[in-house]
Amino acid sequence: MINITNLEKVYRTDEVETIALNKLSIEIKKGEFVAVMGPSGCGKSTLLNILGLLDDPDAGSFVFNGTEIAKYNERQRAELRKHNIGFVFQSFNLIDELTVFENVELPLIYTGVKASERKQKVDEVLEKVQIMHRRNHYPQQLSGGQQQRVAVARAVVNNPKLILADEPTGNLDSSNGNEVMELLTNLNEQGTTIIMVTHSEHDARYSHRIIRMLDGQTVTENILI
Amino acid sequence: MLKNYFVTAFRNLARNKSFLLINVAGLTIGIASCLLIFLVIRFELSFDDYHAKKDRIYRVTTVFDRSGGLDYSSGVSVPVAQALRVDYPQLEVANMMSRGNDMITVLEDGKPVKKFRELKGVFFTEPQVFKIFDNKWLAGDPATAITDPFTAALSRSLAVKYFGSWQQAVGKSIVYEKSQPIKITGVFEDVPENSDYPFGVVISQSSNRSLMTNTDWQSTTSDQNCIIVLPENMSAAQFNNMLIAFRKKHAPESSTTLTKISYHLQPLNEIHFDERFGTYNERTFSKELIRGLALIAAFLLIIACVNFINLSTAQAVNRSKEVGIRKVLGGTRRQLVFQFMGETFIITFIAACLATVVTWLMLPFLSDLMEVSITPGAGQIPQLLLFLVAVIVCVTFLSGFYPALILSGFNPISALKSKLSAKSIGGLSLRRVLVVLQFGIAQVLIIATLVVISQMNFFRSTSLGFNQQAVLNIPLPADSVSHSKRNIVRERLMQQPGISNVSYSFSAPADFGAWSSDFNFDHSPVPINFEPSLKWADTGYFSTYGLQMVAGRPYIESDTTREFVVNETLVRKLGLKSPEEALGKEINFWDGRIVAPIVGVVKDFHSNSLKDEMNPVVMGTRERSYRMISVRIDMSKSKELLAKIEKIWNESFPDYVYEYQFMDEKIRNFYRQENQLSQLYKVFAGIAIFISCLGLYGLVSFMAVQRTKEVGIRKVLGASAANIIYLFSKEFTLLISISFLIAAPLAYYFMRDWLNKFVFRIDMGIWFFVVSIAGSLCIAWITVGYRAAKAAFANPVNSLRNE
Repeated sequence: MINITNLEKVYRTDEVETIALNKLSIEIKKGEFVAVMGPSGCGKSTLLNILGLLDDPDAGSFVFNGTEIAKYNERQRAELRKHNIGFVFQSFNLIDELTVFENVELPLIYTGVKASERKQKVDEVLEKVQIMHRRNHYPQQLSGGQQQRVAVARAVVNNPKLILADEPTGNLDSSNGNEVMELLTNLNEQGTTIIMVTHSEHDARYSHRIIRMLDGQTVTENILI
Repeated sequence: MLKNYFVTAFRNLARNKSFLLINVAGLTIGIASCLLIFLVIRFELSFDDYHAKKDRIYRVTTVFDRSGGLDYSSGVSVPVAQALRVDYPQLEVANMMSRGNDMITVLEDGKPVKKFRELKGVFFTEPQVFKIFDNKWLAGDPATAITDPFTAALSRSLAVKYFGSWQQAVGKSIVYEKSQPIKITGVFEDVPENSDYPFGVVISQSSNRSLMTNTDWQSTTSDQNCIIVLPENMSAAQFNNMLIAFRKKHAPESSTTLTKISYHLQPLNEIHFDERFGTYNERTFSKELIRGLALIAAFLLIIACVNFINLSTAQAVNRSKEVGIRKVLGGTRRQLVFQFMGETFIITFIAACLATVVTWLMLPFLSDLMEVSITPGAGQIPQLLLFLVAVIVCVTFLSGFYPALILSGFNPISALKSKLSAKSIGGLSLRRVLVVLQFGIAQVLIIATLVVISQMNFFRSTSLGFNQQAVLNIPLPADSVSHSKRNIVRERLMQQPGISNVSYSFSAPADFGAWSSDFNFDHSPVPINFEPSLKWADTGYFSTYGLQMVAGRPYIESDTTREFVVNETLVRKLGLKSPEEALGKEINFWDGRIVAPIVGVVKDFHSNSLKDEMNPVVMGTRERSYRMISVRIDMSKSKELLAKIEKIWNESFPDYVYEYQFMDEKIRNFYRQENQLSQLYKVFAGIAIFISCLGLYGLVSFMAVQRTKEVGIRKVLGASAANIIYLFSKEFTLLISISFLIAAPLAYYFMRDWLNKFVFRIDMGIWFFVVSIAGSLCIAWITVGYRAAKAAFANPVNSLRNE
């Protein structure tokens, strides 16, 4: 599903040049659940941003579903992103002014789904993450675990082929964290490819494969199953 | 999608109530000012634009080319219209109209029952006047109504006032001054307020013998207008050429006069705007003034938009997360621009609705100030709505586009990681430029206001060269019976304790409408090359108005002209070296009709407003020309004296209506338009300052929130509250100083131009500029200081704990 080869990304300021990704090559198959680990500054987030089509690489190849997309412009990336990729963030990133229902509805609005269909889809997915009873609440009125469940619901409502999770349990206590991990595992079992950046060895054990990074390169890969 | 935008917009606005309040308040005031100015301009531009033949209607005006420059008169000699009709039969209409005096008596069964003074609206004119202007007739036939002598048509409201209802007016009679009864033959709908031809009582010209027998091609007064309608195929330029030959034929230049007269057509659509000629309403509104007002309206709107841009871009940080999420979830930049523009539209729309209400509430005050009713009629509503829509669209784009561009341009990664700060978002320098622009505009208005107010104070406080306080001006009827009662009236008045002087004269020392004429000086065969003002007055005039002699003595009392007194300017203009030199020299008016020696020279006094030059003046006794009584009274007894004077007057002149005016009040009226202007400037400068400060307050509030942590750290490290306040005010002080450097020369340039219109004027002293910058800084410091102090006195522990 994803095939990146010799990917490079360099951040430059006036005086300093930071190599975030250094000829990185990774392949991820459809249906995989991959955890990316490594110390701060090793390039995990940069990798996730590029995989999520939020950022473009300086060099190298990025093949997504058989198409080379390294040179896509912003509009093309946005188009590809909204139909194929869902995001889960450490800090949830829900819009404070919108209710639970409206937050989850947002991706459907941007992909042009009709109102009646949207309602049905949102309700379905809220049911799935067991937050239906809070559908008219605002994010501030929810606990961290509940907020992250909403964020997961929002990530999957469009039936994306790929979910990118950036430390999804980083702001949660262990029981809430486990709930979210169970949710991601369930999604993966239903066929969604998941790539998760994490610091937690415990969370990484939910995945099939752990990619460990250092200084913009992969150092080891552990196959767990 | 739209619903989602609106939901977000409303919840966002509700969450940031103070920003909403500041934006809506600023925009409401800005738009309301704009609407009010629009109504004023629309009203002034609409003058006489409703006549079907408006593009072919012209006024024949007279231009006098004297050695001292050009003089302009809206009037022509009385025989002009008839001669035009004879010489140019191709003219569709040529019509003479003369403004009459104000005395109207209503008759019932041949007996006088009511008397009225109609300050404007009484006209003598020829029947074809109704072929020029569109008046809707309620009764009678416009074609024949005023063809016969002693017939007149009335406006609806005057017909109601005189006879109870307009249906009863036709067939009834009125008397003009002491004329024989004039029969009412028609009633027309009231002339709208936006007309410079305010017909009320339209009397047939054939009723006025002095007009009918007038063959004088030399005399001109602005009361006598000749209006023509050109045929379809003739241009004004063509006819102006014909007027050259016309003038030569009928009014050949004599070898002795140095004044050249020429006739020029003035299009109807320029009459209201050309102050050189004036109107029957005594009111013109220059195009320059209209442009000035439009500029102010644009300025106020820009200031309000600047607030919006500043606050929205400053606040953009708070929206960055939302922008990031929307982009990650697939929102395109165009969609985001659309969303943020939508929010701007909502705010603008709310402001526009409120502004409409504010405008409606303010209309009566503005109408009062402008002395005209500018309230729009039902017919103007679509025009007004169109303007409002245009304003909404303009404001939405002006204030919404830039913030929308900034917000939608966020990089989603940085936006989500909260790496954006107010500084990293573009537009910090733009915000500075906008604050400079805002305060620049405000300061131009402040300086302009100060200059206008000072000039007005100068007008009010400067001595005109005579004592204008506590003198009452009352009319003296023109007829000989009234004149014969002069001495009795004077005696009765002088018997009242508190009345110290009584004088009869043609006009007050400074008055509207002057009588001027040239004369032959010291046996010269050639008349002098200028026209001094003639002030016919009795000897008491000198003491009543406190006029001072610089040479010789006042003339002796007489019914005819036996001696003259002239002023210093006249002496100078005659080229004499000293006032004494003028004594004993002879003045000869109108080919020997009045010949008398100069016996005294009076110290210069202003015979018109301070806007104009000091006029040369000739004074003498001439009983038959007296038209007013001047009474000097003790102001501490003014109430009882006014009642007594009115009683004596009414007993002496029972056929006339009493009215009075204080001299200083009359002088204030010279500056009516300047006074209105100064009021408008005051209001709009105040509004500009207010909106600017509103924006400044919003900006500083935002800064205070953004810099909470910085303030906390500084305080922990030992900064005092004063240090913190300084930190906040430093930048704004600098910005306002820069704006002053731009505003001061601009204001100087414009206001010097304005002041140059007046012959007697103030100097543009340095203090106008000092007050402007000091005032702006003070107001800004107060605005900033309050918010900064709040930040400075906060406990640093609270601000740092959030980390």
